[in-house]
Amino acid sequence: MILLFSLVVTIMNPAFFTLQNFFDLLHNSSGDAILAIGFFVALLSGGIDISFPAVAIIGQYIAVNALISMHVSNLVLALAISCGVGIAFGAVNAFFVSVFRINTLIVTLGTSSLFHGAMLELVGTKAVNAGQLPKCFTDFGYAKVLHLQTASGTPYGLPLFAIVLAVVVLATWLILRHTLLGRIIFAMGGNFEAVRRSGVNIRRVHFFIYCYVGFLAGIMGIMSVSLIRYSNPTYIVDTELLPVIAAVVLGGASIMGGSGTLTGTLLGATLIAMLQQNLVLMGLSSYWQEFFVGLMIVIGVTVTHVQRKFRTGNRLTFVRD
Amino acid sequence: MSDIFLEVKNIYKAYEGVQALRDVTLRVGRGEIHCIAGENGSGKSTLIKVIGGVVTPDRGEITIDGQSYSHLHAIDSISHGIQIIYQDLSLFPNLTVAENIAFNQLVEKKVKAISWEKMRSIAGQALSEIGETVDLDEPVGNLSVAKRQIVAIARALTQGARLIIMDEPTSAITRDEVEHLFSVILGLKARGISIVFVSHKLSEVFEVAEWVTVLRDGKLVGVYPAAELDDEELTFLMTGKRFDIAPYSFDRARIGEMPLLEVRNLSKKGQFRDISFKVWKGEILGIAGLIGSGRSEIALSLFGLNVPDSGEILLNGNPVVVRSPEEAEHLGIAYLPEDRLSQGLFVNQSIGDNIVITVIRKMLTRIGIIRQSTRKETESHWIDELEIKAPSARVAALGLSGGNQQRVVLAKWLATKPKLFILDGPTVGIDIGSKSNIHEIIRDLAVNGMAIIMISDEIPEILQNCNRVLVIRNGCIEQEIEDISATSEDSLFEIMAAKSTEGEELC
Amino acid sequence: MNAKRANSLTLLVLLILSTGVISIFVPGNFLSIRNLHNMGRQLPEYGLLSLANMLAMITGGIDLSIVSITSLSGVVAGTILSQYAAIGLPVGVTIALAILAAIAVALLCGAVNGVLVAYAGVPAIIATLGTNGLFLGIAIIITKGAGIIGFPPQFAFFGNGLILGIPAQFVIFLVAVGLVALLLNTTAQGMSMYMYGSNPIVARFSGINNHLVLLKTYLAGSVLCAVSAIIMISGVDSVRPGYGSQYLLLTVLIVVMGGTDPNGGFGTVLGVVLSIFVVQILQSGLNFLGFSAFFMKTSWGLLLLLLSVSHFLRTDIIKNHIAGKYLKKKVQPDRAV
Repeated sequence: MILLFSLVVTIMNPAFFTLQNFFDLLHNSSGDAILAIGFFVALLSGGIDISFPAVAIIGQYIAVNALISMHVSNLVLALAISCGVGIAFGAVNAFFVSVFRINTLIVTLGTSSLFHGAMLELVGTKAVNAGQLPKCFTDFGYAKVLHLQTASGTPYGLPLFAIVLAVVVLATWLILRHTLLGRIIFAMGGNFEAVRRSGVNIRRVHFFIYCYVGFLAGIMGIMSVSLIRYSNPTYIVDTELLPVIAAVVLGGASIMGGSGTLTGTLLGATLIAMLQQNLVLMGLSSYWQEFFVGLMIVIGVTVTHVQRKFRTGNRLTFVRD
Repeated sequence: MSDIFLEVKNIYKAYEGVQALRDVTLRVGRGEIHCIAGENGSGKSTLIKVIGGVVTPDRGEITIDGQSYSHLHAIDSISHGIQIIYQDLSLFPNLTVAENIAFNQLVEKKVKAISWEKMRSIAGQALSEIGETVDLDEPVGNLSVAKRQIVAIARALTQGARLIIMDEPTSAITRDEVEHLFSVILGLKARGISIVFVSHKLSEVFEVAEWVTVLRDGKLVGVYPAAELDDEELTFLMTGKRFDIAPYSFDRARIGEMPLLEVRNLSKKGQFRDISFKVWKGEILGIAGLIGSGRSEIALSLFGLNVPDSGEILLNGNPVVVRSPEEAEHLGIAYLPEDRLSQGLFVNQSIGDNIVITVIRKMLTRIGIIRQSTRKETESHWIDELEIKAPSARVAALGLSGGNQQRVVLAKWLATKPKLFILDGPTVGIDIGSKSNIHEIIRDLAVNGMAIIMISDEIPEILQNCNRVLVIRNGCIEQEIEDISATSEDSLFEIMAAKSTEGEELC
Repeated sequence: MNAKRANSLTLLVLLILSTGVISIFVPGNFLSIRNLHNMGRQLPEYGLLSLANMLAMITGGIDLSIVSITSLSGVVAGTILSQYAAIGLPVGVTIALAILAAIAVALLCGAVNGVLVAYAGVPAIIATLGTNGLFLGIAIIITKGAGIIGFPPQFAFFGNGLILGIPAQFVIFLVAVGLVALLLNTTAQGMSMYMYGSNPIVARFSGINNHLVLLKTYLAGSVLCAVSAIIMISGVDSVRPGYGSQYLLLTVLIVVMGGTDPNGGFGTVLGVVLSIFVVQILQSGLNFLGFSAFFMKTSWGLLLLLLSVSHFLRTDIIKNHIAGKYLKKKVQPDRAV
């Protein structure tokens, strides 16, 4: 189903299909894809973590400002700080989810407001522009592997971001598919009670899941500032939440947890990214973006759900959906 | 080495003010098939949890394989090979068969990385131990209940099970599948594995159990060899009462009148075919059929939840079409669902709300506001009428006993003043005392002119309460029995459970 | 229900406490008429939206599109209003027309949501996620991203006028509260909403028309959005699509803090209203005391977490407390153990 969609969209834009544009796409949307993967992992276990945008921007802002005040330009350090913040954030989320058994939507709603507000209050709201940004970020943003040239001589290449994404995808795939932890994550989404009964240390699993989401968000934060060369502490929070959730859901993951594929998530992320990219290419203003993303979701999920209804229509299954 | 594998002695356990177990002792030998019988509230579930180390008794000693514990942990229990298969099977519907079977073992061994090869081999081996084949890659959610049970049993075996406890294993599977399960159980016995099962289905207890431990009100009544018991005796032991009810009789002269309900050639692909029957006012028509026979599907088609492909439904001679429960209600048809907890009751809502929800639209003033006085009246009327035991109408339905919960569901539908009341498994999972009380209520309703269809697979219930029975098998009416008093339990069972000929899909 | 009362009580205490504490620290009279007026002007905007989301959450869903519906109906109304000179009808009629149009558009949006959730069976969170973009997109397309200005001066009444000395929008808000309470507590629709939220399958078996109940839920919510839109655009005398987007999460917070179970089936208007008041008091108070909007954001998050934790601890304590109380008395052995 998702494939059909992708086909439809690509057909809409034959001009789009060039390697350069593809690399461009990867460059711009790898960050979102990484966020989507994080959200996906949490969703599999039956949890809805909406704190990832806040984590990303907090990690980013703190890392950027820390580097500036230390007069250091070191990407690894930046990543360490950002991901460290992300993991800490995730730990807090996991704490409330596992110890107090509070609904994940509510917990992450609370923590994202709490921490984002705190950061804005305590660290400040001054944006950091390209001039003040330590060089490591801009370098990261421009870095390419594989250098090529277009016919007209413009250089382009596979962005380093794409490599980062690939590593994240690989790591996540390994965890989900080839470790017991990964299978437990799926199991939790399928029958939480049964997991409890089987003696698994659920607390530890929760900590892993939410710290992982935080970790990935931390990576994205650095990628984002490297991409736009601007660090504004109010960014990401209002803009990335819905498209990322949309990407994961369009990719076929069930909002209840327990089912979904990494491939699907990636395709969903690609779809959303292409949509956003296309609209710009088609000369349509960003006004239409919201509309189309929304329309996509509406059509996509309606078709999926109506399909599902027909399939179970003949059986007398009164399973609570 | 003693012959006794498990011994729990003088167990006491109290919860939230209830003495769940009082001085209970249970002994299970190696390779023995042992049944724990008792009504709801007798302490069976608590006893199982004590054996499994999930619940710690207040007093008492547990000895497994010669080793004594005063404080048993779940880990210890499992390490001795005690495995509990809960009624809901505790499986992961979104994971494959192989994963489900191998899961517990992997968790136990604290495996980090997994190889799918390993999982499949663990699963394959467990299945072959009981001589079963199930598609290892199928998500468990797609399997039938019977196959899921096999998966659960296989999983139990992966941790070196020596004693498997099954909680109500036969409640959701068909007759054929029950027989199959029993052969699996016997196979396990042959390998020296003990089986303890809890069942409220008397006939099955006797079919496979060797010893029966009877509990009543948390106390041990006794341990008996299954061969020495029969239905009546066991019922007496479980309840302390003897029940002697004359079958329900119906004035046959009324057949001259127009039947309240007439069904002609009702069919639905894959579920039932050519169903035709009549029901008169004042009758209790029994529909006897085992799980999978199509009995509930037929009932639901009369209630608007399973529109048939063809056929006619006539009420008082007028053809009607029922497309939703709302329409059914308007036509005066009521339906008591099979599963009261997930279909019949809003468990977290109050008793009062549960009762009036069906008729709330009839209690409105002209501008659409609910008349509180009418509402309160209706609530208290039915609570009194059906003797629902609860502190108040505002208490949540969850806290009631099974029998009381069922009475709330009855009240909810009686409030609609139905002409036809279809009861699907009205006393499933209800203790015998409440059972007979509910039967009384049903009989009264019929005597007062309601037409009742009672669907059940509990033969004594059918024989004692219906004046006429339709036996459904494989989606068709196998037989109509008019002379109840002349029918024996065994003969009725035979008809219900007759083996289908090879390759027969639907009658 | 004990839990319901306990929650409302907690909120009431919180309200009184925060008012008290803030009054102490704020220079001058915190509860002066002027301040109350200001609060009464701010509160209804997100207050109405909170009520709208409450309706959806009682049925076990959530409405992520409320802000977009507000934007769209605001845009439609604004378009009509800004053309009032060109239309040439008496001002009052134009205003009425604009209001009706806003409500009509909102109803249409609510219908779309309702159809998706009820008839197509799409989970509410996803359906409204999609329609959110859809509605906002349409609003932006209509206005081409710009704002709309130039309303008739009489229109400012809703956002700036007084009724019996009370800010007009607050009166409207109170009326809405009354109507919602009426809906939930005294109508069949309200009761059906709670039951559906409790268990949709049992609802079906009980003869409830699930489709209609859900549809009406989202329609009702959308009307509240339209009202909020009128108030909003009247207040600032202009429309800008996307205005109020920060309110979405705030409404979820308010509803949950007000004791509504996000899984559906429970929730009281009183709880939500108290929750709204607490939020407003804190917002105004902290503002006075010089705390920034960010601090506020932090507070919401903290409050939500603390309340959830206290809810958990409370239910835990109740369980253990009751056990202790009845240890002497024997409960009927009929219970399944």
